[in-house]
Amino acid sequence: MRDHEPDRLPESLALAVDLMRQEEVPSAEWRDELLRRASAEPRLMRRVTLSVPWAIAAGVLCAALGGAAVVGVTRYSAGAASAARVADGVAASTTANGMMLPVTFSVVAPNAASVSIVGDFNRWNPAALPMRRSPDGRTWQVEVRLPLGLYAYAFMIDGRLAPDPAAPHAAADDFGTPNSMLVVRGS
Amino acid sequence: MRHALIAAALSAALFGGAAKAQARALPDRLSAPARATLERTIDSARTAGLPVGPLYDKASEGVLKGAGDDQIVRAVRSLARSLADARAAVGTSSDGSVLTAAASALAAGVTPVDLRRLAHPSSGEPSASTLATALVTLVDLVTKRVPVAMATTSIQSLLDRRATDQQFTSLRADVDRDILAGRAPEASVVERVRARTGPPPS
Repeated sequence: MRDHEPDRLPESLALAVDLMRQEEVPSAEWRDELLRRASAEPRLMRRVTLSVPWAIAAGVLCAALGGAAVVGVTRYSAGAASAARVADGVAASTTANGMMLPVTFSVVAPNAASVSIVGDFNRWNPAALPMRRSPDGRTWQVEVRLPLGLYAYAFMIDGRLAPDPAAPHAAADDFGTPNSMLVVRGS
Repeated sequence: MRHALIAAALSAALFGGAAKAQARALPDRLSAPARATLERTIDSARTAGLPVGPLYDKASEGVLKGAGDDQIVRAVRSLARSLADARAAVGTSSDGSVLTAAASALAAGVTPVDLRRLAHPSSGEPSASTLATALVTLVDLVTKRVPVAMATTSIQSLLDRRATDQQFTSLRADVDRDILAGRAPEASVVERVRARTGPPPS
């Protein structure tokens, strides 16, 4: 039973539906799996704190390379929010301002030639975070380390902006194309 | 070794500070008048104790999306006002994530009175993470054409029952799934929230 017409969906949701209905998506089961993963939650698996000298040394090295100071190592399981999820078995790092968590963004775009992610975490620069095509040929991924917080973002697929089909959408549409929202939280 | 570490740490701090300063710059493409206007807006927000990161981010977003300078200035000013209104509603101690989510909720049509209730549910203060997640979920429901009042009431009832972050996340995913299956958003929200909160008291 359908109690609404697809062409009357809001633009942001219609884009998400379009992405999910691409011809090369193999099955409804695959889509359900994406939604299941979208609803899953990162679970804290294990926390290991480095000894102080090693933490300082690692922090200095990391800060010199990327502005982050690693003072602890935390493991998180797969399956966090939406297509943006905390990756499995990847070390989290911590800055002086708080924890930084590895977040993996992924989107299904089998026919795309290039995909990147833009958002509050990279000054909306499409060249900053290009995504890599996964071995399955249809999914694009990138991992980003983010401090705890709230971020607006979107995918840029062959030069066209699209919201994350599996993430909550933002209210303000100041510039004509919708954004997705990501809450990065510690546990 | 100790001196080397201190020197390296100082370098890292300087490097990090420079990187952070760079991350807070307005986009190069903006005209000088627009840049001056935005800098005044951002300085005012900073003086008022509001988080200014989202204002820089909004300007960068506008540049990427090809918006004109006037449109970017309007969007940044509007966001600054929403952040101030959000802080008045949810409290001065709220962190940046909550303020940004609350500003988004105001932009979605939630009233300041309702926003205040959401931030201070009967069951006690939710964590910043839970409140931010709840507000993001609320906004998402509104973007999917759930009436604002219904979405607000639904999220309020979950907050009153101390719903967890993952319960809000799973609510959104369940409603998405229902909509994809052809269900009306309102009907889905009513049923999914009732399943999490139980029948209304008689």
